[in-house]
Amino acid sequence: MSHAATIDHHHDVTTSTGIPNKKLFMWAFLASDCMFFGALISTHLIYRLHPPPGSPDVSKIFSIELTSFSTFILLMSSLLMALAVNSLQKGHVRSTRHNLLGTIFFGLIFLGCQVYEFNHFVHEKGLTLSNSIFGSTFYTLTGTHGCHVAIGVLWLVLMYIRSFKPADPSRSWLARAIAHFVVFTITTVAGTAAVLGLVHTIQSHESLSVFIDHHLLATSTTVIGLALLTWFGFSRKPVDFGEANAIDVESMGLYWHFVDIVWIVIFTVVYLLEYL
Amino acid sequence: MRLPAPSRIAFRQLAALSLASLASFLGGWSWIEGPQSTFDTQGPVAKSQLDVFYTTVWVTGIIFVVVAGVLTYATLKFRARNESDAHAEPPAQSHGNPFIELGLIAASVFALVIIAVPTLRAIWYTYDVPEAEKANAYEVNATGLQWWFRFDYPSEGLDNSGHLVTGNELVIPANRPVRINLRTADVIHSFWVPKLAGKVDMLPNRGNHLWLQADQPGYFWGQCAEFCGEDHAVMRFRVIALEAKDFAEWVAQQKQPARTVATNLTAEPLRIQPASLTFKRNAPGWSQEFDLNPLENWKQKQFPEKDENPALIAHGRKLFQEKSCISCHTVRGHEGVGTTAPDLTHVGARTTIAGGLLENNEANLRRWIIDPNNVKPGNKMYVGVPLGASVMPGYMLRDAKTGHLTPNIKIDNSEGAALAAYLLSLK
Amino acid sequence: MDTIAPASLPTHEAPAAEKRPWIFTRPTAKTGLISWLTTVDHKRVGLMYGFSALFFFLVGGFEALLIRIQLAVPNNTFLQHQTYNELFTMHATTMIFLAVMPLSAAFFNYIMPLQIGARDVAFPRLNGFAFWVFLAGAIILNVGWFIKAGSPDIGWFGYAPLTSKAYSSQFAGDISTDLWVMGLQILGVSSVVGSLNFIVTIINLRAPGMTMMRLPVFTWMTLITAFLIILSFPAITIALVELMMDRNFDTGFFEISKGGLPILWQHLFWVFGHPEVYILILPAMGIISEILPTFSRKPLFGYPIVVFSGACIGFLGFGVWSHHMFTTGMGAVATAAFSLATMAIAVPTGVKIFNWIGTLWGGHLKMTTPMMFALGFIWMFMMGGFSGVMHAAAPADAQQQDSYFVVAHFHYVLIGGSVFALLAGIHYWFPLIFGRTVSEFWGKLSFWVIFVGFNTTFFPMHFLGLNGMPRRTAVYDGNMGWNSPNFIATIGAFILGIGIAIYFVTMVYTLFKGPKAARDPWDGRTLEWALPNPPPEYNFAVTPSVHARDAFWYEKHHRDEIAREKIQHARSESEHGGIHMPSQSWFPLLTAIGMLVGSLFLANHNYLGAISGGGLTILGAYLWSPKAQAATTCTPNLTPTAKTPTPSTELPLIFLFPLSLYLSPSSSPPIPPTPTPSIGIKTKD
Repeated sequence: MSHAATIDHHHDVTTSTGIPNKKLFMWAFLASDCMFFGALISTHLIYRLHPPPGSPDVSKIFSIELTSFSTFILLMSSLLMALAVNSLQKGHVRSTRHNLLGTIFFGLIFLGCQVYEFNHFVHEKGLTLSNSIFGSTFYTLTGTHGCHVAIGVLWLVLMYIRSFKPADPSRSWLARAIAHFVVFTITTVAGTAAVLGLVHTIQSHESLSVFIDHHLLATSTTVIGLALLTWFGFSRKPVDFGEANAIDVESMGLYWHFVDIVWIVIFTVVYLLEYL
Repeated sequence: MRLPAPSRIAFRQLAALSLASLASFLGGWSWIEGPQSTFDTQGPVAKSQLDVFYTTVWVTGIIFVVVAGVLTYATLKFRARNESDAHAEPPAQSHGNPFIELGLIAASVFALVIIAVPTLRAIWYTYDVPEAEKANAYEVNATGLQWWFRFDYPSEGLDNSGHLVTGNELVIPANRPVRINLRTADVIHSFWVPKLAGKVDMLPNRGNHLWLQADQPGYFWGQCAEFCGEDHAVMRFRVIALEAKDFAEWVAQQKQPARTVATNLTAEPLRIQPASLTFKRNAPGWSQEFDLNPLENWKQKQFPEKDENPALIAHGRKLFQEKSCISCHTVRGHEGVGTTAPDLTHVGARTTIAGGLLENNEANLRRWIIDPNNVKPGNKMYVGVPLGASVMPGYMLRDAKTGHLTPNIKIDNSEGAALAAYLLSLK
Repeated sequence: MDTIAPASLPTHEAPAAEKRPWIFTRPTAKTGLISWLTTVDHKRVGLMYGFSALFFFLVGGFEALLIRIQLAVPNNTFLQHQTYNELFTMHATTMIFLAVMPLSAAFFNYIMPLQIGARDVAFPRLNGFAFWVFLAGAIILNVGWFIKAGSPDIGWFGYAPLTSKAYSSQFAGDISTDLWVMGLQILGVSSVVGSLNFIVTIINLRAPGMTMMRLPVFTWMTLITAFLIILSFPAITIALVELMMDRNFDTGFFEISKGGLPILWQHLFWVFGHPEVYILILPAMGIISEILPTFSRKPLFGYPIVVFSGACIGFLGFGVWSHHMFTTGMGAVATAAFSLATMAIAVPTGVKIFNWIGTLWGGHLKMTTPMMFALGFIWMFMMGGFSGVMHAAAPADAQQQDSYFVVAHFHYVLIGGSVFALLAGIHYWFPLIFGRTVSEFWGKLSFWVIFVGFNTTFFPMHFLGLNGMPRRTAVYDGNMGWNSPNFIATIGAFILGIGIAIYFVTMVYTLFKGPKAARDPWDGRTLEWALPNPPPEYNFAVTPSVHARDAFWYEKHHRDEIAREKIQHARSESEHGGIHMPSQSWFPLLTAIGMLVGSLFLANHNYLGAISGGGLTILGAYLWSPKAQAATTCTPNLTPTAKTPTPSTELPLIFLFPLSLYLSPSSSPPIPPTPTPSIGIKTKD
């Protein structure tokens, strides 16, 4: 349902300041969230400045290449997020959906990298949550950020599904939405498992058949899930989603950009500083 | 229901009553003359802190009188006197006067500067021993534990190994700066001897220190000032300041191993049945006689008790091993080797036991030994000391899962008497 | 600016008939229990905050009396040490988080939207959610009284490492500290969510003409407090999260054996803890700044400076946290810096006192009960402020820290300050909220008894502290010179208790039997007094427009101009479809229950249960979001008619149900079946 842009996205006449309530709310929340991360980052830095005896050698644990890659991916996802907001403000629902999917995908790659990194640190490098303070502060800080990304991805997915709400109120869509969400979740989990398996297979120089042997279920689930998602995505009926929802997507975008900026700070402070 | 109309007389009476009670507060100057009074300063650090306090009292006091006067005047003068006055035309709707505001702000800043200057000076002065006196300063370490204090004298090495250690009573030279390094073995405690210096916390994984100086020989009360768990209220200690000569004598005496009383087993019957003790939980452990001249009483304590019973003491020493006391307490030269509890090598020469809670005498010792939980609920001698994941049992053995306590050590009245006699003999 | 529409005005027409499974049908009850459980009306949420806070205020007061009984005589055996520690921990936690903060929140909710001429807060459901989450946190904190593990006993500041498993878990299932950790985190969620809502409301939902510099001072203080909350609570939340990780997952944040630094806890805690002090006092200052002008019958002296000093206090409040740590050996330079910064705060605080006196000057002071409490506030707060300056001087503080001098100081600012102001506020707004007039005689009597009792309790504590008595001690010896001040303090505590009892009995009596109050009984100055009492669901039949700082005062003195405007506004509003009110919802409650369940399980280290609680929370939040645009339209009946019972008296009836049978045998049943007749309601589904 794309119609001419009639809504002034920069001035909301129903509020005293012209800033939409949701946007103002999000700004205020992000101010608060800054303090959350501030406290966590401070904790991490304080313990890096006063490392207890027996702290692990951090530069031997990190793999800066992978983290740089995931940082880049997260930055790119911000770009897509901005495009999604822009599309919806112009009333382009289909383009919005594509950009949302792209953001979700990049967000998932970031999360996948983090899951891989944590797994790697725990099992290969012997850094756990409880065996050193560095482990405690590192996992808590990056894990909290990861939770933020995960919540962002969840929100993006829900928004994506929301964009299929039929305009005709007599058509029930709740069951369909739930099914859509379930398929999305299963596909994501299976896809992550499959991709991680693939990466592992390549890293340990094993043949592709070993990968298929071990990850057949995950791979096939992913394929089926993707097919179903494509089917869900083909909707030509008019939807109750358009320019008026731009503010929702924009607030979500603010959140997403914020999570991105926080990651840049974390990447600098937690990772890059160790190489100085 | 119609309520009675406000009665001015009732209000006046109440106001008079409140004034009277205020007057009674002000009349009670004895309220600031306790053994832990911060007004009765006995050293330069506490004195400097009290001077800053007086500065704040004077400045705020003068401001209070002025502001309170204006407030009272405004309240009385502009009060609506009757019903018609209250409903009269509203007064001029004035909105304020920036010059008055700025003037008052400037005045407040000026008042604060008066406070700030001595404050800053005292911060640096009280923080560490002044440079000129650093060389002269005597250094001791104080360690807080749940719920007692250990005092180490690193400069007083012992013949074989280690250095002088005592518990709950810190003896220092008078008229000489003392730098106390503050440590803790468990949670946060705070070292506070109000007459000598303000408190400084003992923080885990972080060194801390304070300095103080007693201008005269004296006996001072101190107490843990940071909440540290169940028995925080009864975690107390004493500081005894001595003339240089007395201090040197005390150190020499303390360096000796524990005193052994010559035993003649045949001379005295071993079995004695002391009068049984009854006392209430939290029953006080102080006496007026002691408080009259605490320093003199402390000095008396350095000499052997008059009515020593060598056989009883020997029996007590045996019980001290049998009842596992030795696994937590050190008695240098005797059997005790434990370090988790206070060093008892010269416990008989101290004026207090149980973390400064009870005066050190036969009855109190017996009370503390027989029923420690009723003296100091939840103390580690009773419930055991946590050692990593396990618990070293005390009088009770605590089940780590349920917290249930099962008896482990039992000491009856006559055993208590023997142990008390033994401990009192350790001068 | 032509019109300001209410919060949830749909930006497009909602569909006429949407198919909904039964679970999604919107609750529409306007009276009775369900109407309260599903309410999104800021006034009802405010009342629920108020009544819960007063309940916990009495609980905290009861705890205080037990503490005072124990300390009445030396070496008392009334309480075990352990019980005493639980009591002072819970007394502080209860009074700060469950009494004073929510009582302030009650006023934020009820009064602030009325003062800015709004019909509701910006996010009404989030508002309901904040309340239910608060209640969940309160339950978690107090569960300890009823279980074997007992209540938290680590002090309200929970200094590490006393909170670690090694020192605060007597046995495997000892979850008292976990309950404290979870309870405070949950309360943090409530406070932050509530505050975000207030910030958006104040910035965005002001009536036309209500510029920021025309906001009533109470609203200003609400805004500053809300900012303090959203910026300071993260620090304690993260500290609590780290502690929770230590206790649940063996991390080493504050674990000594792993090299943790307990001092970090103190920094994080006080980065929150000091702004928290202003979170407790700024709303009180706001209330005082409303009451003094009203009863002096002239505007607040130096409004811009009062507002600016409030903001200044809030700002500086973030830079002085370490003055709670002067005895931790921070080093001379840090101590000096925090000492000076703390003294600097005295300036904006002093400015407020000067301005209040300036407000009295030249006025016609009506000595009503709220005015008495307000004047009492100035006196007591002044004394608390002066002892505060004494703490700011770090060397003096070395003797005062953790002694009864500090106890005296913060009770002067918290009772003599916050509580006096809140009691003044209840008395002041009672006629508006409940439509009944409180007896002046009993009000003044309660004031004097409270005033005398309060001073008798806490004035001697200054001497106790200076005479070397440390805080948080369950017993003391009789030879320390502390006996008579302690005994007098205990007597004072009971006088204070009697005063509070008189106050509450008077309020409860008035609630049911008090004489009906006239509209605008105090000759008020701010917009809330423009409303009938109690105010209708939609607050303002016509959105007011504001021309001056004391908006209602201006209205009363420019009646013709305002009447013309009202007609114009009414016309333009009806063109926009009348008044849109948000519809009720179960989901805020459901989401909060999810958090309650999850936290209780997490405190029990039962992760499966915790995850299911979290799932319930997410489900609640998800189900709630698509309905955010639902709205009810109501047409105000501009000719007021008698209504029974008013929503505001109904809540206490539900709370006091058994009692109410005795109190009002002849009154109408507490839960009448029919909706209020004066409002025509069109629900859209």
